[in-house]
Amino acid sequence: MKATQNPLPETDVDLAKMRKVMEESADVCRAIASGEVDAFVVGDDNSRRVLLLATAYQRYRQLVERMAQGAVTVTGQGNILYANQKFADMLDIPLAQLYTAPLEAYVGMGDRARLSSFLIMSTRNSQIELAVSRRDGTTLPVRLSLATYSDGYATLLVTDLRPVQWPSLTVDALDSIRDSLEKLNQGAIGKDAAARAALDSISEEINGLARMIDEMLDVGGRAGRP
Amino acid sequence: MTPTERWDLRLYTAGQSPKSLAALSNLKRICDEHLAGRYSIEVIDLMKNPRLAKDDEIVAIPTLVRKLPAPLRKVIGDLSNEERALVGLQLRPHK
Repeated sequence: MKATQNPLPETDVDLAKMRKVMEESADVCRAIASGEVDAFVVGDDNSRRVLLLATAYQRYRQLVERMAQGAVTVTGQGNILYANQKFADMLDIPLAQLYTAPLEAYVGMGDRARLSSFLIMSTRNSQIELAVSRRDGTTLPVRLSLATYSDGYATLLVTDLRPVQWPSLTVDALDSIRDSLEKLNQGAIGKDAAARAALDSISEEINGLARMIDEMLDVGGRAGRP
Repeated sequence: MTPTERWDLRLYTAGQSPKSLAALSNLKRICDEHLAGRYSIEVIDLMKNPRLAKDDEIVAIPTLVRKLPAPLRKVIGDLSNEERALVGLQLRPHK
């Protein structure tokens, strides 16, 4: 009989396919168990998406949470889904209090319509400057930059627009040190050649630092500093 | 495997997840060492287009697929275990 002469090739093919599927499944389990994967594809053909394990974005989270710029993600309704510590610091409001709160609640009345339009109309990298309200009632000028917009969620980077304060404090500190050195120079060690040379060297380094800060600040008025 | 055989590899990644980056780095190292000058790597970022997972029935990321030489082979994981990766790609026989 012909049927018995045929070694059931279809069954063999099916078995080979099943073996391959089982081997792959075993390999997936092994990779999961040994921590070699950090994402999975879920869903059917119409709703396929990628789920990341928490460890996959932990470092990004740390980066965002520690960066010196505010970051906030808002829902399509304008409610805060996520914010980093820097943004909470800008508002002087506990971070936990920000979650689910409407972003516009922290924007001055005069800027709310602009914020709303910005969130609706903006494309990536577009920016808007407005004032946010702090807990003590003062306002803080900021620039909002739309970093990403997807699935109805907008992520904004928030930059503090106040003039930078620390360099001027540093300049003041350098001036103070220079004055002290000058007094030393005019005092007891002024007659000691070696001490004078060391003082001159230190003075030169301080002047160099001061010039560097002037250049960073690009302050014309200070350009004539000795 | 013939010395001139062309290798087409496809690495499925999830954006810049640590395991995806590790897999790409490990894969390049393995290829430079064992397939120098006769391989190509196509990186498919499933974060950007998850639907592409269907082509090779990908469930875990990262996954490396050897498209050529036939037959198709898959290696799942970040390829940190070089011995396993070499065996999976059939660059080294099973012990």
